[in-house]
Amino acid sequence: MDSVIEVRHLTKRYKDVLALDDVTFDIQRDAIYGFLGRNGAGKTTAMSILTAQNLPTSGQVRVFGEDPYENAVVLSRMCFVRESQKYPDDATPRHALASARLFFPRWDQDLADDLVEEFQLPLKRTIKKLSRGQLSAVGVIIGLASRAEITFFDEPYLGLDAVARQTFYDRLLTDYAEHPRTVLLSSHLIDEVANLIERVLVIDGGRIIMDESTEDARAQATNVVGDAATVETALRGREVIHRESLGRVSSVTFLGRLDDAERAAFAAVGLDLAPVSLQQLIVRLTQQRTPGRDTLAPASQEGTLR
Amino acid sequence: MTTLESGSIMRPAAARNRTRNVVRLQFVNTQTFLWVPALVLAGAWVLTILIYWMLEGAGVSGVKTGGGSQAPLWYFLVVGIQAMTLTFPFSQALSLTRREFYLGSLAAAAVSGLGMSLLFTFLGLIEQSTGGYGMNGYFAYLEWVWERGPLAAGLTYFVLTMLFFILGFWSATIYKRYGTAVLTIVLIGIGLALVGLVALVTWRQAWPEVGQWILETGSLGLTLWAILVSALLAIGSYLTLRRMPA
Repeated sequence: MDSVIEVRHLTKRYKDVLALDDVTFDIQRDAIYGFLGRNGAGKTTAMSILTAQNLPTSGQVRVFGEDPYENAVVLSRMCFVRESQKYPDDATPRHALASARLFFPRWDQDLADDLVEEFQLPLKRTIKKLSRGQLSAVGVIIGLASRAEITFFDEPYLGLDAVARQTFYDRLLTDYAEHPRTVLLSSHLIDEVANLIERVLVIDGGRIIMDESTEDARAQATNVVGDAATVETALRGREVIHRESLGRVSSVTFLGRLDDAERAAFAAVGLDLAPVSLQQLIVRLTQQRTPGRDTLAPASQEGTLR
Repeated sequence: MTTLESGSIMRPAAARNRTRNVVRLQFVNTQTFLWVPALVLAGAWVLTILIYWMLEGAGVSGVKTGGGSQAPLWYFLVVGIQAMTLTFPFSQALSLTRREFYLGSLAAAAVSGLGMSLLFTFLGLIEQSTGGYGMNGYFAYLEWVWERGPLAAGLTYFVLTMLFFILGFWSATIYKRYGTAVLTIVLIGIGLALVGLVALVTWRQAWPEVGQWILETGSLGLTLWAILVSALLAIGSYLTLRRMPA
C-alpha cells in the first residue's frame, strides 16, 4: 500500500477533553477520502495535527515519511482549508489568492481565475465584508487551485448554496481526474459527497470506527422492510443497528453482507431489501455510541425503537 | 512504514523564497506597516512644527526640542501585535512553518522600521543644516541622540522600532496562546521587576552613579544594549510561538 500519511497511536488531550484517543490509520496516495463524524468527534483536531497547525499530546504522525512539524518541504506539499479560516484584516480575495500563489508550488492561476468567475467572488471587497458563502469560496478556490499533493477540506462549503456546492464537487472531480492527488474532505452532507469519495474514514468520540472503501462501507448494512414478526424471525442472530415500526410493519437496518441465497430467502417470506445510504449507515453507527452506550450496542438492546 | 517519496517538485530556491515572501504577505496590510506609521510621524512633525512656529512668534527664540518623534515608536507596538494576530492564522493556512512566519515578520518590521529611520534621519539632517527650520526648533535632531552622527542616530531609531515591534509581537503571542489573565500577570511581573530595580537603586542611593553611567554610555552605547535586549526578547518571542497552535 502506498501511504502518504501514517498516523500511529495519536492522542490529543485538551484540558478535560480527549479529542483523539489512540488513533491509528493510513491515508493512501491519490484518493478522495470522506472524513466523517459528528461535531466534536475530532476531525478538525486530527487535520490540524496532520498539517502541524496543532501538536499531538502523544503518538506519531508521518507525512511523506517525515514529521510535518516545522517541516517546510512537507508542509508546502499540503493545503488545509478550514471552515473558520481567519484572514488579515485589510485583505481582499485578490490578496488572499495572490498570497496563496506565493506559497503553493503547484498553484494554477488559470484554474483560480476560472473558479473566481464561477463562484462570482468579488475580488476587491475586503474579506471581512464578504458573505459567509463568499468567504467559503475563497477557501475552496485556494484549496483547489493550490493543487497540493494532500489537500484537506474541513467543512469547506458553509454558506454555499446547492449550486455552488455542486460546482465545488464537479470542479474537484474534474481537476482530480487530470491531476490525481490525495484529498480529505470532512463533511456533514454525507449523501452529497457519497458519490465523490472513494474511501470513508469515520471518527467518533476521538476514535476511528470505520476505514474502508465507500463501496465496502455501503455493503456493510442492509435495510429490510416487512411484517414485524417476519422481520424479527428473519433477522435472528444478526446485528441490528436501527429499527423503526409503524403498526405491524418494521423497517430494520442490520449489519452484514448477504449472498444471493440469503437475498432469495428474504424475498420468499415477503420482505423487501434496500441498500442503506452512506449517510444513514454512518448516522446509525455514530448514534449508537452516545454516552452511556459506549460500544456498538448488540441487537437485543439497541433501543432506538420509538 | 511503507513507501515514501523523497522527490518533491519544490525547487530549493522556492524554499528559500518562502521566508522572503512572508514580507510580501505582511505588507498586504499596507495600512499597518506603511501608512499608519508614516501618518503618525508626519502628524507628530506637523504638530511640533506648528507649536515651534507659535513659540517663535511669541518671541521664544531659544532652542526648542520636543518628544514628538517618539510617537511612531509606540505605534510599532501595535504593528507587532497586528503582525501576529492578523496574519499568523492565515500564514498557517498557507502551509508556512512558524519559523518562516516569524523570521519573515521580523524582516517586514525591519523594512518598515528602516523606512521610518530614514525619514527620521532625513528630517534630522534638514534641521541640522537649517538651524531647526530657521527657528531653532528640533523634532528629529535631538543633540544627545545625534552626538555620534546621523548614522548612529538612525541606528538608535531603527533599534527602538524593532524593540517595540518585538514587544508587541511577543505580548500578542502570549495573549493568543495563554489568554488575557496570563498576559496581565506577565505584564504585572515585568512592572514588579522594574519597580524592584528602582527600589534597589534608591536604597543603595545609587542614582548619581546610574545617571553617570547613562551619560557615559551615551545614546549609541545604550542602543547597543537595546540590541542585546531586543535579541533576547526576539528569542523569547520565537520560543512562545514555536509550539503555538493555529
